[in-house]
Formats: sequence, structure tokens, C-alpha cells
Amino acid sequence: MDLTLLLQRLFDAVFNGGIYASLALALVIIYRATGRFNFAQGEMATFAAFVSFLLLTGPRPFLRGGSVVGLIPGVPWPIPLAVLGAVLFGIVSGAATERILIRRLERKPDIASVNVTIGLLLTLNALTAELWGTGGRFFPAVFPAGPDDHLLIGGARLRFTSIGVWLTLLILVLLLVLLMQRTKPGLAFRAMSTNRASAELHGINIGRTLAAGWALAAGIGALAATLSANSVLLEPSMMLRVLIFSLAAATLGGLDSPKGAVVGGMIVALSQTLVPAYVPFVGNELSLLPAVIMMLLVLLIRPAGLFGTEQVERV
Amino acid sequence: MSDTILNVSDLHASYGPLSVLRGLNFEVNEGQVVVILGANGAGKTTTLRSICQMCDTEGSITLRGTDISSKGTADIIRLGVGHVPQGRGTFAELSVIDNLLIGSYTRSDDGVQADIDRWFEMFPILAERRDQLAGSLSGGEQQMLAVARALMSRPELLLLDEPSLGLAPIIVEQLFETLQRLNKEDGLTMLLVEQNANLALSMADHGYVIESGLIALEGSAQALMTDPAVQAAYLGA
Repeated sequence: MDLTLLLQRLFDAVFNGGIYASLALALVIIYRATGRFNFAQGEMATFAAFVSFLLLTGPRPFLRGGSVVGLIPGVPWPIPLAVLGAVLFGIVSGAATERILIRRLERKPDIASVNVTIGLLLTLNALTAELWGTGGRFFPAVFPAGPDDHLLIGGARLRFTSIGVWLTLLILVLLLVLLMQRTKPGLAFRAMSTNRASAELHGINIGRTLAAGWALAAGIGALAATLSANSVLLEPSMMLRVLIFSLAAATLGGLDSPKGAVVGGMIVALSQTLVPAYVPFVGNELSLLPAVIMMLLVLLIRPAGLFGTEQVERV
Repeated sequence: MSDTILNVSDLHASYGPLSVLRGLNFEVNEGQVVVILGANGAGKTTTLRSICQMCDTEGSITLRGTDISSKGTADIIRLGVGHVPQGRGTFAELSVIDNLLIGSYTRSDDGVQADIDRWFEMFPILAERRDQLAGSLSGGEQQMLAVARALMSRPELLLLDEPSLGLAPIIVEQLFETLQRLNKEDGLTMLLVEQNANLALSMADHGYVIESGLIALEGSAQALMTDPAVQAAYLGA
């Protein structure tokens, strides 16, 4: 076996793993808050990335028939500011989505929530296509991504963008842990996800805490989309595949575990590059297969995932 | 005549189309332990849930003269009501200490740690298990945690929903001794819902009996204890 090639494949998986892990993290936050999936997580992130694109495009707006760019001061913004803008847009629109749409589904059965978030996925996808067109657009790289921007390890290239994505993810997880474990809003969030009725009886404002959870998740999603827009090209469906891999990652890691999301994201990305490379009958077209099979196996063998909380109740 | 903390008049409560309370009147005075007795399904739990606006209500509920019937649950807790719910409301996946911190969520003063120490002293078993997940505690320990957690908000009025449910008699006895101490030493006012009428009446000042959403009887705890109807229905005499 060619070790350099193996190492290169591992390194190639790092970037995707970081992106899957980030979006899985967003899915996990919402799952912990509501016990449900937000299937529109990817499209919300894509829309935010397009907002970032708007901030970057300068005087030639690609927005169909629009002169919105003219209304934004200082455009074009430098890339770090444009990413920050997307994250802020994600935070605000995430909270608004919870407030306007999701809160109405509180007492409705799970299937209503599945339908609505899938509806939101389709709506946002169509809206993005309507506003910006379906063609892929160049989005600048957030981290140095030139041909020489890599470390050479054992003959294989570890690109700076991969390192950047992972550093971002690690900082994100660290901040998230600090937020959840060391702050009062974090305590309120954990209380709400463990026992909502009881949390309410201790004066925790459930609506506000839920909205904060959605804001956080959408902010993280926006970051994931802007970080990956350079490598996959910015287009309305860019996060659709990512969402499926992230769902697999979150299921694998345990739906309520941030640590699980990160580990799951990496395992899914590794399976995606390694299985087609070393299992003869699985071609690149089937790279989704290992992720889906893993998801199936986890659900059959250990439904709580690798790090998830098993539902045990003492009575 | 002591001050009235809680006054409930013509309280109707329902869960959607299901009407549970049909015009309840009662009050709780400062420093008192008031008990609500009644059979299963009479509306005892709903009465406590109504006070915290955890179901649809009509009628007036005033806390120290302030109408709370149109306020949100969080606001009512802030106004000084502590609620120990049926089933104990344990945050099972959180540590004992985090459970207590959630209890102090509405507070912003710096006396939280002192209060934690105080309740650890009163419930030493909680201090021993401070870093354990609350879900791993026994039923009795979880009930103590629920009381301590509710006390962390420094309530003026503590609502207790069947604290004896599912506990061994010896644990129930300990728990009620502690509750009595809180009432006598701290002057904590309590509204207690219980199936264990004997025990509840022995520590209460005043009592009400609910039957199908209406007050069927009321009186001092002593009078209720000797009332033939109460004896026959709830005291097994």
C-alpha cells in the first residue's frame, strides 16, 4: 500500500470532516433544545453564505434586479468581515425562524416539525436560486488556499485551509463548552434540554432559551457554509450533501453530544475518502454509501450513538 | 390575623377542552402550612399548576395582593413562589450542584453559595453526592434535591405536590420533619398537596378537601382530622 497516498487521503478528509462536524454541531444544538432535527440547517447556512457573498461582491451585485448592495455601507467588505456578517445574519435569522415558525409547532406532533423544516429547506433553496441563480459562483477562500499553502508531511500535503477549518472548529467547540458549562444562559439551556417543564418552574424563559439555541446553531451553520464555499463553489444546493453527511455524523456520534458531532464528522469524512479508495466495488459515485450504512448500523446496534445519552430513567 | 400571601377565588382550570377545576376558593396565610387533600383526579395537582400558570385558568389568583393569573410562569417564580412538582422535576443528566444552581436561576445576588452550603447542611446526603448526576440519586434523595432546589430561589411560598409519593415510610418521615423545621424555624409558608392525609394534617395549620374540582370541606387541620367524613374517606378510620 502506498503510504503517502494513504496519508494524502487522510489529509483530504480533514477539511470535509471539519465542515461536517460544524454542521452536525448545529444539528445537535437544535436536537438538544427541541428533540427534533432542523432539516433546513444546511439551506439556512447556504443563504447566510450568499449574504456574505453580497457583502463581498462590491459594486457589481449578482442579486437579480436588485441594488441591495448599494444600501450596505462600505461594500465590498474584506473576507473576514463578510464571514462575520454571515454569522451575524445566521444568528439573527435563526432566532427569527424559531420565533416566527418553529414556536407554532411546539405542541404539534414531530411529523409537523419534519414537514415544516423540509418545507423551509425547499423554500430557502428556491429563494436562493431565484435571487442569485443556480450557477456556481466563485467565493474567496477564508484561509490561504494557493498551490503552495500547505505543510508537507511524509510527502503528503496538509493544506492550510484544512488546518484553518479544524482550528476554527476546535475554538468553536471550546467556546461552546465554556458557554454551556460556565455561564448562566448555558445552564438554562442544559436545564431546558434535560427537563423543560421543571426548567420553566425555576423561572427559565423557555421561549428565549429556544430562540438562543436556534441563533447559535444558525450562526455555526453560517460559518460552516462560508468556510466551505470556496472548495465546493457557492450555489443554492451546496449544503445539501453536507447536510446528509452531517446527519450521519450526528447520528453516529450521538444526537445530543457535541463531542459526538465532531468525532462523527471526522469518521464520516474518512469513510467517504477511504472506502471508495480501498473497497473495489464502491466507486466515487457511491461515496455516500458508507455514511448511510454507518447511520443504519448505529440505529440498529446502538441508537444513542457513540457518545449520546442513553434514555434511562429511574422511577 | 396574619397576612394573606395567596388568595384564590373562583378558580377554573382546564387542559384544552378538559375542565378540571370548577370554581375554587381558598387562601394561604403567612407562616402557615396549608394542605389540600382529595382523591386521585380531584384536581389537587391542577390547583398547584394553576398557581404557576402551567394550565389554562380563569378566576383570580393574587400573591400578596398582586394578580398573577395573567403572568407567565417565570414571572410568578420571580415573585416568590417555589414549586416542587409531582415527579420531582429532577434534571437527571445534570449534577446535583448544577440542579441547585438552576434553582437560583432567578437570583442575581451573591448569596447563592451560602444558600447551597445551608441546604447541604440540612440535606447532608446531597453534599456527599454533589458531583453525581442527579438521575443516579434514589427517589428520596431526588425529593430532597427537589425541595432544596425550590428553596434556592428563596421563595415566600413553597408549593409541594405529593412529596411523599413513592418513598419509603422512614424517608417520608425524615422529609416531613425537615419541612416542619423549615416552617417553624424559617417561617416558610407552604401549600401542600398530599394523599397521605394523616401525615399532612399532622403538620398543617389549615386544610381543604377537593372533590371533582370544588372545595368540599375546609377547616383547621385539627378539625379536619376529627371530621367523620374526612376520617372515613382519607384517614382510613
